[in-house]
Amino acid sequence: MTHILLRNRDIPDIWQFETYTANGGYEALRQAVTEMTPDEVIQVVLDSNLRGRGGAGFPAGRKWSFIPKDAKTKYVVVNADESEPGTFKDRELLEKNPHQVIEGALIAAYAIQASGVYIYCRGEFWDLAHALEERIAEAEAANLAGEDILGSGWSCPVRVHLGAGAYICGEETALLNSLQGLLGQPRVRPPFPAQMGGGLYYQPTVVNNVETLSNVPWIIRNGAEAYRQIGTERSSGPKIFCLSGHAANPGNYELPLGITFRELIFEHGGGVWKEKALKAILPSGASGPILPATDEVLETPLTYEDVAAVGSTLGSASVILLDEDTDIVWAAAKMIHFFKHESCGKCTPCREGTYWLDRIYARLLSGQATPHDLEVLETVPQQMDGLTLCALGQFARSPVWATLEHFREEYEQYVGLREAKAERA
Amino acid sequence: MTETVKITIDGQDYHVPKGMNLVDAAKLHGIEIPTFCYHPKMSPAGMCRMCLVELGSVQKDRESGEVLVDENGEPLVRWFPTLQTACTQTVHDGMVVRTQTERVAEGRSSIVEFLLTSHPLDCPTCDKGGECGLQELTMEYGPGESKFRYEDKHHAEKHVPLGDLIILDRERCILCARCVRYCDELVGEPVLGFHNRGRDLVIETVSDPPFDTVFSGNTTDICPVGALTTADFRFGARPWEMDPVPTICPHCPVGCNLTADTRLSADFGGKRAIKRIMPRQNEAVNEIWICDKGRFGHHHSRAEGRLRQPLMRRDGELVPVSWDEALATVAEKLVQHGSKAFFAAGHSLANEDLWELRKLARQTSRRAKLGLCPATVSGAQAVQQAGVGVGTRLQDLGAGDALLVIASDLYEHAPLWWLQVKQAAERGATVVVANARPTKLDRYAAHTVRYRYGEAARVLHNFAAMALRNDKLDAELLSARVEGWDALEEELKGSRVPAEQKSAAEALLEAQNLVVLAGNDGMGFEQHAELMQAAANLLIVSGHVGRANNGLVAVWPGANTQGALDMGFTSEAVGEAWEKPPAMWVLAEADPLGEDARMAQAFDQADFVVVAAQFLTATARRADVVLPVQSFAEREGTFTNGMRRVQRFYVAQSPLEGTLPAWKAFARLTERVKDGPKPFVAAEQVMQEITEKLAPYAEMSYANLAHVEEQFPPIRRDDLYYGGTAYENTGGLGLQWRTDAESPRKRLSVRPVERSARRWEGLLAVPLRVLYDRALPFAASALMDGHVPAPYAELNAEDAAALGVAEGDRIALEAGAARVELTARVNGHAPQGVVLVPQHLGDVLIAAPETCVVQKIEE
Ligand SMILES: Cc1cc2nc3c(=O)[nH]c(=O)nc-3n(C[C@H](O)[C@H](O)[C@H](O)COP(=O)(O)O)c2cc1C
Ligand code: SF4
Ligand code: SF4
Ligand code: SF4
Ligand code: FES
Repeated sequence: MTHILLRNRDIPDIWQFETYTANGGYEALRQAVTEMTPDEVIQVVLDSNLRGRGGAGFPAGRKWSFIPKDAKTKYVVVNADESEPGTFKDRELLEKNPHQVIEGALIAAYAIQASGVYIYCRGEFWDLAHALEERIAEAEAANLAGEDILGSGWSCPVRVHLGAGAYICGEETALLNSLQGLLGQPRVRPPFPAQMGGGLYYQPTVVNNVETLSNVPWIIRNGAEAYRQIGTERSSGPKIFCLSGHAANPGNYELPLGITFRELIFEHGGGVWKEKALKAILPSGASGPILPATDEVLETPLTYEDVAAVGSTLGSASVILLDEDTDIVWAAAKMIHFFKHESCGKCTPCREGTYWLDRIYARLLSGQATPHDLEVLETVPQQMDGLTLCALGQFARSPVWATLEHFREEYEQYVGLREAKAERA
Repeated sequence: MTETVKITIDGQDYHVPKGMNLVDAAKLHGIEIPTFCYHPKMSPAGMCRMCLVELGSVQKDRESGEVLVDENGEPLVRWFPTLQTACTQTVHDGMVVRTQTERVAEGRSSIVEFLLTSHPLDCPTCDKGGECGLQELTMEYGPGESKFRYEDKHHAEKHVPLGDLIILDRERCILCARCVRYCDELVGEPVLGFHNRGRDLVIETVSDPPFDTVFSGNTTDICPVGALTTADFRFGARPWEMDPVPTICPHCPVGCNLTADTRLSADFGGKRAIKRIMPRQNEAVNEIWICDKGRFGHHHSRAEGRLRQPLMRRDGELVPVSWDEALATVAEKLVQHGSKAFFAAGHSLANEDLWELRKLARQTSRRAKLGLCPATVSGAQAVQQAGVGVGTRLQDLGAGDALLVIASDLYEHAPLWWLQVKQAAERGATVVVANARPTKLDRYAAHTVRYRYGEAARVLHNFAAMALRNDKLDAELLSARVEGWDALEEELKGSRVPAEQKSAAEALLEAQNLVVLAGNDGMGFEQHAELMQAAANLLIVSGHVGRANNGLVAVWPGANTQGALDMGFTSEAVGEAWEKPPAMWVLAEADPLGEDARMAQAFDQADFVVVAAQFLTATARRADVVLPVQSFAEREGTFTNGMRRVQRFYVAQSPLEGTLPAWKAFARLTERVKDGPKPFVAAEQVMQEITEKLAPYAEMSYANLAHVEEQFPPIRRDDLYYGGTAYENTGGLGLQWRTDAESPRKRLSVRPVERSARRWEGLLAVPLRVLYDRALPFAASALMDGHVPAPYAELNAEDAAALGVAEGDRIALEAGAARVELTARVNGHAPQGVVLVPQHLGDVLIAAPETCVVQKIEE
């Protein structure tokens, strides 16, 4: 199949400006800027039902349409913080097909008449960010970015900013703070980024994921109708699935939304490594609840709605496989340690909850846990439920409750260890 | 009328001001929503998650806007699926809130449990123990016990100095960011911040020097726990052992209301001592804030150097004598010198002291002159006519209003007013700052006007000219009861107004309400008199007098300059004493020899000098008799602040043996001079006499001054919502006396100010006042030593180059009779041709602008 997003798989040199333009690159931007009104662009994206690929699946066109038209200063911010465990799609897009990201961002910027685009890269994307600056310079030299784009009178510089390697800075409001030079902690909402007072420098701002924007040039060129032909009715378009963990062939797979877990893992991904049996799946990195690899789950189509219906989330579609030998308690402990490490500490339930969960897992793994610890493990996620300022605190609950729900006996074994030790002594 | 919206809380409907925060709206109706991080004067942070409620909104038909109802006729409510933080909600029509459900209780209990389990629980040794928000809310909302293991608790540093005044205990900190937001938002000096993240998140200071603001102490009051404590009080006493005594700050004209927490103290001879100074709520004065000078400056009252016995000169030496002997000698001398005796008061003497000093003067001679030292201000009449209206609160000024700050460096001269003017600017008020040099307030000014030293009055004259030109006159007022308008109008017509002054004037004259805060930065009293007159002219002709939130605020140098002027003490009288040195001086808490080199010659020929003081000042050292008087802490009395609010302070600390309140000392002297009247027994009687004899003070009985009423936001000591550990007001809100403009039958007068500005030839030395200096008595508070810089002078780069002086060089400066050595700072603060010389840092005896010679001292 030919790719829409990972076109670099078909045309390896597409990162080069000439190759990109020779293959229709920047035509969509040209078309938008010279032939369409901003509202028409928004309408096409609305009609395409493109949903945000950063995790929440919010319709991109809707988000753009929230930007107040009368605001003088507006921004587009590209979320390239990609820090979810098991997610590595934005990186390939930015490294191998960067002009498409830039073009998508500029079309979004045109649609809201933005005064600037900022690409916020995670701190580890050092080389990538510098290469990206060269790509932007090429676009600018061709009058596709910067001053008076394509003679339209609309100017929009594009800038790259490097974070310092914090997961929380992928959360859009923490990202905006970080971009402003403030501490990377989420903001109180409302106002939302698209609203006055809520965005970058408190001006209305669209924050979109790298992959979301990578879809836009194709949509403009081929139309909303063609785009909706891909994927399902409510989850349209192609999606890059990041397959990792105990996969035989880990990597990025660009496939239409709506293929099943089984198709992704076994048809495309070559199954589980070492020919082992599949025990469980983390459909969206550490953030989504774990699913046991039942037939029901494997037959579930990878759409926002269907994955939710079986009790997890599609998120950014970083599908991590856990084989039959995986120690689930150990896996949960790793994830909790991650969240404890990455919690920004701004709000009480997440800061304290992740801290205490981490301590209990440490006791579990070292064979020190008591049945009381297990009870506490069950109540802490409830004590965090719905009470945190941002979604990280909610994500942090799922490794606990979902593993407890599906794999409780493994916890009991850990607790039993201690009892056994006590008996021996 | 403010627009209201209807909200429902726990089934009850309420009408609340539109746009209000939900926590405040609930508070307004007595409904408590517990909070840690929310503070009504700061933006919501949504950090602690304590203020959880169930939140919904009444559903309405999209088309008709009609409320949808269920089968029972009850409105349909769409509820948020999860609990919401009330502090991040703005009320809107149809908002429905539940605060008392099981779910809400569970949520809050979860939060308290989380906070407590990372808390050291060292309440028994914590300064906040007994007045702690976390303790209070735990008792009310917390779970009975914790399920977490004690040994897993997080540990952090327990003694982190944030500068030398405030100590942080990182284990106790609940990371609510109240302290951070206080500095960022209220003060505008972002000197605190967070470092790291997650459970390792900590507060740190990000400024150098650390915690670099004069408002640092306020964070200890609003900190919900004992994480921030003051260096001088730490482990000093438990809250419940102390007696709170209402008092008034003696350090600047704002007159912040304070509470002195007192206790019998071993280190004070077992007597009652002030353990700490806390703010006391007065929404018309300081709200709940004070500056660090007010909070930490009280230590002088127990300092080593306090005088404890009268001293008399014998064989050239000052030796201790009895009060009787001292008073008898002074009385004898007063009778001897009669009309040749001169009486001078300082700027922070209580009204009662001033009154008795005045009585003593009158008893000595009908023609006795009353002087004010330092003799740098004038303008009593301007205040009497055009002072701010009764009921003025700077916090009420906002969009549509204007404030003009002229000839004052408010941050240094009246910190709380600086804070309030800054906040008014942020609420949308137009702030105009006019000064010959840049000041910290410029940042918040819509217009900054620069004038040359000597030209301040001109600026206001020009503003009045703009009122005439742009038809912004209050014609009715002018025709009904203003004298001198014709002459002034003539003068105004001829004014040529520079462009930058035009736009500033226009902005001011547009305003609904206009307050002018006028100081005396860089001028002598003669120019100050002109400035004050020009301010009164402007306010009267434009009609911004006679009502609340309009008129003149005098940024006087002292806490009771206004009282001194009210009692008839003037700089002009001191001016005459220069011309014609008196034979005898009686000085009360005044130190002319310690601040003004010109004064020395006025003392040369004096036969007898009497000084009433707390410390052996430069002038006291020259005295023949020194009378040891009490500090504000040890006696009662009243001060009149720069907005003419007369405020009471009470006896907080056991008086030092051997001292008297100044008024008593003077009253006993009066008795001995030509059979004067018997002294009063109590300060209250002195005030009684003042009210009978001094018209503006007619309403000021001690009982009236002690009157208190409900203020909003309300504070209670067990409620950290607003005041934290600030005190509710039990000592009295004080009373402002009425200006002439407020009495419809009184006539007002305007007059042209001197046309030609004062000019100086050559390099000009301009003295300026800084908040932290070495003036007594404040300087005796050793705690603040580190904050007082060594003597320095500021020059601009061009002048410095011409003089061959570089940053850090030692220079010798000679101005008139003053010669001083200073360290040069070369920066953009001094205008060209001017050397700025902060006073009271060492022996800088320059009290008014004077031509000077500067020379580099070669090493
Ligand atoms: C803790 C946390 C981390 C996140 N990290 C990322 C990220 O790395 N990249 C991203 O695009 N979105 C991330 N998001 C989602 C963003 O907040 C936001 O929803 C997204 O950038 C919107 O773009 P989209 O609508 O195009 O998906 C994160 C959200 C949370 C709560
Ligand atoms: S939920 Fe966690 S990451 Fe999000 S604001 Fe709260 S502490 Fe920070
Ligand atoms: S020190 Fe006090 S005010 Fe500051 S964050 Fe900690 S608990 Fe809050
Ligand atoms: S602002 Fe003035 S009155 Fe208030 S505490 Fe500071 S020095 Fe005292
Ligand atoms: S979150 Fe509302 S008071 Fe802290």
